Amino acid sequence: MTPSDAGPGALSLPEYLAYHLGAKVRRAFAQLGSVSWLLGQGVRGALRLRPEQLKVVLEVTRIQIRFTALDALPICVLTALLLGGITLLQVFGQLSAYGVESYLSQILARLVIRELGPLMVGILVISRSGTAMATEMASRKLSGELDALCANGVDPLQYLLLPRLLGGIVSVFALVILFDTVALLGGFLVAWLRLPLSLSFFLGALGSAIGHRELTATFTKCLVFGTAIPLVCTAYGLRVKLSTTEIPQAVTKACVVSLLVLLLAGALLSVLIYA
Amino acid sequence: MPEPLVVMEAVTLLSPEGRPVFRDLHWRLDRGARLHAPGGAGGGCTALLRLCAGIAEPAEGRIILDGVAHEPGAPHPFLARGALGWVPSDGGLAVNLSLLANVALPLRFALNQDRREAERTALGWLDQAGLGERVHERPAVHGNRESWMASLARAGAKGSRLWLVDRPHGGLDLASIQAAERILAQAAQDPDVTLLLVGGDWMARLGSHLQIGNGQVSPGRKA
Repeated sequence: MTPSDAGPGALSLPEYLAYHLGAKVRRAFAQLGSVSWLLGQGVRGALRLRPEQLKVVLEVTRIQIRFTALDALPICVLTALLLGGITLLQVFGQLSAYGVESYLSQILARLVIRELGPLMVGILVISRSGTAMATEMASRKLSGELDALCANGVDPLQYLLLPRLLGGIVSVFALVILFDTVALLGGFLVAWLRLPLSLSFFLGALGSAIGHRELTATFTKCLVFGTAIPLVCTAYGLRVKLSTTEIPQAVTKACVVSLLVLLLAGALLSVLIYA
Repeated sequence: MPEPLVVMEAVTLLSPEGRPVFRDLHWRLDRGARLHAPGGAGGGCTALLRLCAGIAEPAEGRIILDGVAHEPGAPHPFLARGALGWVPSDGGLAVNLSLLANVALPLRFALNQDRREAERTALGWLDQAGLGERVHERPAVHGNRESWMASLARAGAKGSRLWLVDRPHGGLDLASIQAAERILAQAAQDPDVTLLLVGGDWMARLGSHLQIGNGQVSPGRKA
């Protein structure tokens, strides 16, 4: 009998838990390894690009940026505006209780720029573009398109993965800047309705609240999220083997794992930068 | 004696269900050979093409293409320089690109041609394939015939040294057969070009008969 066949009755509970938790940890490391391998291959492919190949990659990157960033503008602006307003309302209630409303813009700026902006943009990109990337990769693999690309001398990692990585980084970066700006503006609008707050005072307080650490945190998160989302979604899309019924499973896993990576990386970066 | 273009050494290939398609296969494809396998469902013809291209990974044995063994996960230099003409049954075109962009892509990527030159070459070959007026359409608006013909044009445009041509899904009309024959005959004018063709009675005229069955490949007699 192998430990996998054995129940808690055959093995002691700690042994049983250790075996099953160990299997999960091993699987998680194996997946991390395959995603890291993909990233390594992508970087290697980028360094080997010839001039005409680079042109092709940039053309595809431009299309990716259009889908990931430009087409997401309306939903990004709406989310940012609502989130900025709602956050301010909540913060305002707490600050009013202590009579320190003057800290409003500083708290809002730090909250939005340090945490909410990159996180919300990451979630938007996963839900819109990450799912699309996973589905596209899975469909291309099952239809034999990837095989045909390889056979015709087109490296799929250079032609498909690289533009998605580049497009992801540029798009997340652009969307985060837009999101932060609109969220702060939305916050100001709500604050302006409830407080005798001038725009110049608000902007001045914002300026003093945004330091190099806020900018470092935002840019680092943009880079990490912009790389991780396309990478994870592409990797999970490419894991399908035989049947179209594997596609929804791959897309679901890609979403869940991307979100997990986003939260873990965001928390880790915040701890590293602010602790 | 010139080195063969493809050498298969003790190759065993299993189907996804674990059934052996080829078992301990020793086979060589000489440079300049023109071979035709009649093909049939489940006979292993498509699998042979996929093995030659390095798309199918054997369970055992190794495949040497142009003196270099196929390694899983690593682009083969013969493929990377665009020397393989891969024409699968469904054409294997990218669905988000027009026919013109599909044919031009490997010219730009593998042969390093600039966009204008690649599109000019692609246009000429698509015209030969009878698709000159539909070059800006995507494969999704076409039937399988057009995709397969565009794939054949792609193989021609690249100046492929090895053509691996599978039977088109759904067959071809007379005009397409004539165009395809012209393209393949044009490729065959070069004595160094190797053709391995599967299916389609009309393709039998272009190569010697190859028998594929019972997990082995052997020269056959013409029917």
